[in-house]
Amino acid sequence: MAGHNESRSSEKKSSNGMNDLPTFNSENMQSNMKIIYYSRTFLSIIGGVAAGILGFTGLKGFFFYFLLMAVTSLGLIAKAKFSIHSYFDSWNRVVLDGFLGGLMSFVLFWTFAYDIVHIF
Amino acid sequence: MAEDLVLDTAIRDWVLIPLSVVMVLIGVLRHFVSKLMRTSQVPDAKIVKEGQVMLRARNLRASANFIPLKAFRARKVYFCNEENGLLFVPKGQAQNPQAQMLSDPNMAMDMMKKNLSMIIPQTLTFAWVNFFFSGFVAAKIPFPLTQRFRSMLQNGIDLSTVDVSYVSSRSWYFLNLFGLRGLFSLILGEENAVDDTQRMMQMSGFGFDPSKGLSAEKDNLDITQHDWALPTLEQRAEAVLKKLVS
Repeated sequence: MAGHNESRSSEKKSSNGMNDLPTFNSENMQSNMKIIYYSRTFLSIIGGVAAGILGFTGLKGFFFYFLLMAVTSLGLIAKAKFSIHSYFDSWNRVVLDGFLGGLMSFVLFWTFAYDIVHIF
Repeated sequence: MAEDLVLDTAIRDWVLIPLSVVMVLIGVLRHFVSKLMRTSQVPDAKIVKEGQVMLRARNLRASANFIPLKAFRARKVYFCNEENGLLFVPKGQAQNPQAQMLSDPNMAMDMMKKNLSMIIPQTLTFAWVNFFFSGFVAAKIPFPLTQRFRSMLQNGIDLSTVDVSYVSSRSWYFLNLFGLRGLFSLILGEENAVDDTQRMMQMSGFGFDPSKGLSAEKDNLDITQHDWALPTLEQRAEAVLKKLVS
């Protein structure tokens, strides 16, 4: 999935794994957040088109979206080399951020592709 | 519910696709027009100064633990003392932002420009959609919805027997309006002018009072606990070095 490619090399680590001091570079964090947002949006658009072409209806489509977001989260975590706390301040950032914003785009493109392929 | 409607393919070719494409193109156009109209206003020296002071105070707060207690105290006094500290705002001197806004016609002008660049294209597009595409059943959303959504999705067709998941062209316009935000942020970059929610946020934060920010920052700095990091630094250095050697 594009989750890997989209999140370009995350910025330099802002804190070492072993230190317990909260040393954060807020600019780097913001850039990381932006990357998450972009990859989420991108994937929800692509996923919407895919779901529409595959002809998912009803709950199946939403399950597809959840699955997609889970895959994205996994991809982002893998990109962060499984040490979330050196790149983000909490798990919620990786797992939940941009979830609802992506849903809107997903539904729109899902409907669009579904209509073009299946309805007419 | 009624059986499936058969939609003409001409509707797809002449309503659904053009409408979506036009929405995207108008979004792009709006982005560039508002970029051209944006005036680079000369920042007020006082506001810039206050912003910088706040930034410095924030930096001090964030890295308080990396300087000795004495140095931290000196800086804290420099920022927060009650006579001439940088963050200290004398009572009554704080400007009313509303009055300030009224006194500065440029500001109101700028806001109006921003507003207009948002409202005019939307009204025009809506009128255009209404004129050309009113009354079509243009699309069908692939999931069932309750009757409650009828007024939202079937704006413009008054048939109560049609299944709710059919979307009229006017409502398709609204769906596009909200759903394309993600796409715009991808193709136009970070600070696109299309982002209406962000615009709203800016507007509500328009009357932002810098002196309030200053005193909030002062309070934050006042309660900051100092805990010097140096004593434990040796152990950390040892750990890092050990990891490097091994």
